[in-house]
Amino acid sequence: MKITTEDIPKGKLIMISGEIDMHTSPALRDVLMKLTKKKVTPIIVDLLEVSYMDSSAIATFVEALKNMMSYKGSLRLCNLSQRVSEIFTFAKLNKIFEIYKTREDALKNC
Amino acid sequence: MDEKIVVKNLVTRYGNKTILKDISFSVQQGRITAIVGGSGCGKSTLLKHIIGLLKPASGEIWINGKDITKLSEMQLNDFRKSIGVLFQGAALLNSMTIEDNVALPIREHTHLNEATIKIMVKMKLDLVGLSGFGDFYPSQLSGGMKKRAGIARAMALDPEMLFFDEPQAGLDPITSAGLDALILKLRDIFKMTIIVVTHELHSLFTIADTIVMLDKGELIFEGTVEQFKNAQDDRVKRFITRTPEDENYCPEDYFNILTAD
Repeated sequence: MKITTEDIPKGKLIMISGEIDMHTSPALRDVLMKLTKKKVTPIIVDLLEVSYMDSSAIATFVEALKNMMSYKGSLRLCNLSQRVSEIFTFAKLNKIFEIYKTREDALKNC
Repeated sequence: MDEKIVVKNLVTRYGNKTILKDISFSVQQGRITAIVGGSGCGKSTLLKHIIGLLKPASGEIWINGKDITKLSEMQLNDFRKSIGVLFQGAALLNSMTIEDNVALPIREHTHLNEATIKIMVKMKLDLVGLSGFGDFYPSQLSGGMKKRAGIARAMALDPEMLFFDEPQAGLDPITSAGLDALILKLRDIFKMTIIVVTHELHSLFTIADTIVMLDKGELIFEGTVEQFKNAQDDRVKRFITRTPEDENYCPEDYFNILTAD
């Protein structure tokens, strides 16, 4: 898994590629926890290059969202593959996260 | 469709008794395969071989391109991380809460943060309909709830394959139907390869994509549910119609049994 971050006018864009699993999700958690500690908002996560995501990845996003709620931050996920999208829906998280089809949609109003 | 598991000419013995006699069959990726047969036919023994708990006398078991009968104990431990097993009695640790039971494999095999683990465990418990029961101990749960907790634990490490050893045993029909629905959900959503050892006909016809039937350690059927229902083999027919086998009575043998030292 590779994580790249980029500044956007307000907040941060995170681009991830590869698989987010129980071996790699701690690195994603480190990035997200550092940002949420600084109360960064919005955080936009582009999942276009993510081929696989397991429950540790979803738990990591849930924890980040919980942290962001304390400062009314916005965590936006975009470019979910059909498979990843199905898992979010099945885990009943598709209505909890802000999910956008494209990065452009997620970046609106930033 | 890809073959996930291929069993070739498997033979196993307990002492002088041959339990599995030259068993060969394959399991398709993302499908539910049911292993059926009467009590004592070798179903659970076969399952224990496929999950690497027993070594056969001869034969091969190919999973993900590796013959697991040839793996060292360390390699087998790695293999076992990719599978989840629900044992007959759910095998929960009674001294631990349900949450800790489910968290145990994650704590043992990963370096995940405790906050991540707690959320994962809550997700698994919700998946099996046990939200809010994390603080309960196994002794405080019904039989069906214990099975569900066992499934949550089997799912803890997001396995590619799930194995169920008689999941419906001891459950009422409604709880049993709920468990069937859950097994189907795991196949459809997570595209898991699932093997279920069972002798419950209703459940078999509800969940199985493919059926493998054993009788006295021999494989007597491998095919789809429709093929199973139309099979001409007398032993398959008797299983479906729940017809008891005629007692094979031999007066001399019986006398010898009674009078043997």
